[in-house]
Amino acid sequence: MRGVLNVLIDSLLAAGLYATMAYGLAVIYGVMRIINLAHAGVMMLGAYTTFSLFTRFSLDPFLSLLVVAPLFFGGGVLLYRTVVRRLPRSGGTASIESLLLLFGVWLVLQNLAYVIWTGDTQSILTSYTLKSVSLLGVRVGVPALLVFGMSALSLLVLEFVLHRTYLGKAVRAVTQNRDAALLAGVNADQISAAAFGLGTAFAGVAGGMLSTLYAFTPDFGRSFLLKAFCIIVLGGMESVTGVAAGALVLALLENGLAVWTTIPTSFQDAVSFALLFVALVAFPQGLPGLFTRLARRRAVR
Amino acid sequence: MKAFPWVAGAALGVLALAAPLVLERGTLNDVWSLAFAVILASAWNLLGGFAGQVSLGYSAFLGIGAYATVLLSLRGMNPFLTLPLGAALAAAFSVLIGLPAFRLRGPYFTIATIGVGEVVRVCASSVSFTGGSSGLRMPPGTFDFTLNYLSMVALAIAVVALAAFVKRSAFGQALAAIRQDIDAAEALGIDSTRFKLAAHALSAALVAVAGGLYAINFQYIAPGSVFDFRLSLSIVLMPIVGGVGTIAGPVLGALVFSTLQIKLLSIPALRDSYLFIYGTLLIVVMLFEPKGILGLVRRVFNRRLRRFYADA
Repeated sequence: MRGVLNVLIDSLLAAGLYATMAYGLAVIYGVMRIINLAHAGVMMLGAYTTFSLFTRFSLDPFLSLLVVAPLFFGGGVLLYRTVVRRLPRSGGTASIESLLLLFGVWLVLQNLAYVIWTGDTQSILTSYTLKSVSLLGVRVGVPALLVFGMSALSLLVLEFVLHRTYLGKAVRAVTQNRDAALLAGVNADQISAAAFGLGTAFAGVAGGMLSTLYAFTPDFGRSFLLKAFCIIVLGGMESVTGVAAGALVLALLENGLAVWTTIPTSFQDAVSFALLFVALVAFPQGLPGLFTRLARRRAVR
Repeated sequence: MKAFPWVAGAALGVLALAAPLVLERGTLNDVWSLAFAVILASAWNLLGGFAGQVSLGYSAFLGIGAYATVLLSLRGMNPFLTLPLGAALAAAFSVLIGLPAFRLRGPYFTIATIGVGEVVRVCASSVSFTGGSSGLRMPPGTFDFTLNYLSMVALAIAVVALAAFVKRSAFGQALAAIRQDIDAAEALGIDSTRFKLAAHALSAALVAVAGGLYAINFQYIAPGSVFDFRLSLSIVLMPIVGGVGTIAGPVLGALVFSTLQIKLLSIPALRDSYLFIYGTLLIVVMLFEPKGILGLVRRVFNRRLRRFYADA
């Protein structure tokens, strides 16, 4: 019983972070039908920016997210304006060209990090890094708890923005039907820029939070990118709740396997991959698609 | 005039094969790397270029070939006899992952292949019979540079010739149809999955043989060397930079690439900026000339070269 509670709490805490990093991918895909491979590079830069703010100005990693978010939003908009928008627009599906282009951006970002911060493994050690508290009888690390809090907060803010502001409504409109949104007078180019900025900001924030939990190098981020893919494939690209559900499924699977089976932790990335593979092949519309299909089948009966 | 690319190619091939008589070892090493790059690029192009299925997981096949060669040689087999076994293994593996992965289209397929490459690398460094992350060494007495050089160059020539043959065959036409419009191809009665699987298996087998030769030449392999993600990356980059889906493009890309690599590695200040160069190349090609150097050349000398490369 205790084991179950342990896994549940650990998974929930991990899922918050996973959802934050996956949402950045989802919003860019939704608005532009672009799979942002540079996401991993942005997360890595987010981690290093937080690291630099911490070592240079001894700014608390969680406070520095307030700097990272607007900074990366600006960076994302800039990237969109200078590079991404020059891509020929593909129809309804993501194009290989955009994938490879952003792959190139990722490599450049990696190299940038090697030049600025060298290839050494870095980590952030704050006064509370090794502290833990008891939650329903389960020991939980303070950073993990803070990360969950920040993730939940950022997703709530996002939910508010998406449903209560013009920008958010326009983002959702373009996601649902680009042509109809254009007809309704939405400036799709501006919304795309904003969405790219938003996705980049989320990646930066996710990276900043990752830096409080893990050590990192310029190569860091690939396995998290794959996790993020897995989540949006599972959760569908449309809703914040879907992304959160996908994140929880992945986190439960990872933690459950780590606790109840003897699969070594080095295989953990393989697990998210296997799940990604199964998800892509078995239910390409994600969990929501699966549910609607099941519901339809029941209705037919 | 139509025969020009063929004559030029054959002449280059003969020159490369005869090179050990004249050139010194250092230069031969560079030609060896070029041949290795040509094999990887042209083999990848069979699936990625002809059929338009961009895979970022080819290091898996290279690694399988390399590991098969080392593991079997350690059990007393002649290293060169292990090459076909490695190829068969890689082809079988390619079918195994292709069966589910080819149900995915475009970028989704690409993402799935990143996953495959990662999983194989993780497994190779965690399982004990592969020597874990510290890798494996070839048994002593298996090193013969001239033989290895000749095999690599001969294989490179064979792969390019095979690519040219495939492109003109019915098989190549089917792959082109799949690239242009998979639904239309299916409607015409092309079993797209079967053709994609065949192209995947063929290119995987060729890459695996190159991997085996690589292992024999370097005498030591580790997951970090043969299963490296950067390897998958350069395999994709070469045909794309040269001209994806053509015969000469991957060769051109391999030439640019191995020259860059050799030149870059000799300049200490630039040694750490190869990612920057690869990335910038990718960005520039995608934004300005998605058909690569060959596309650029064609645009510049459009009239004259159209006749030259009409079937290349």
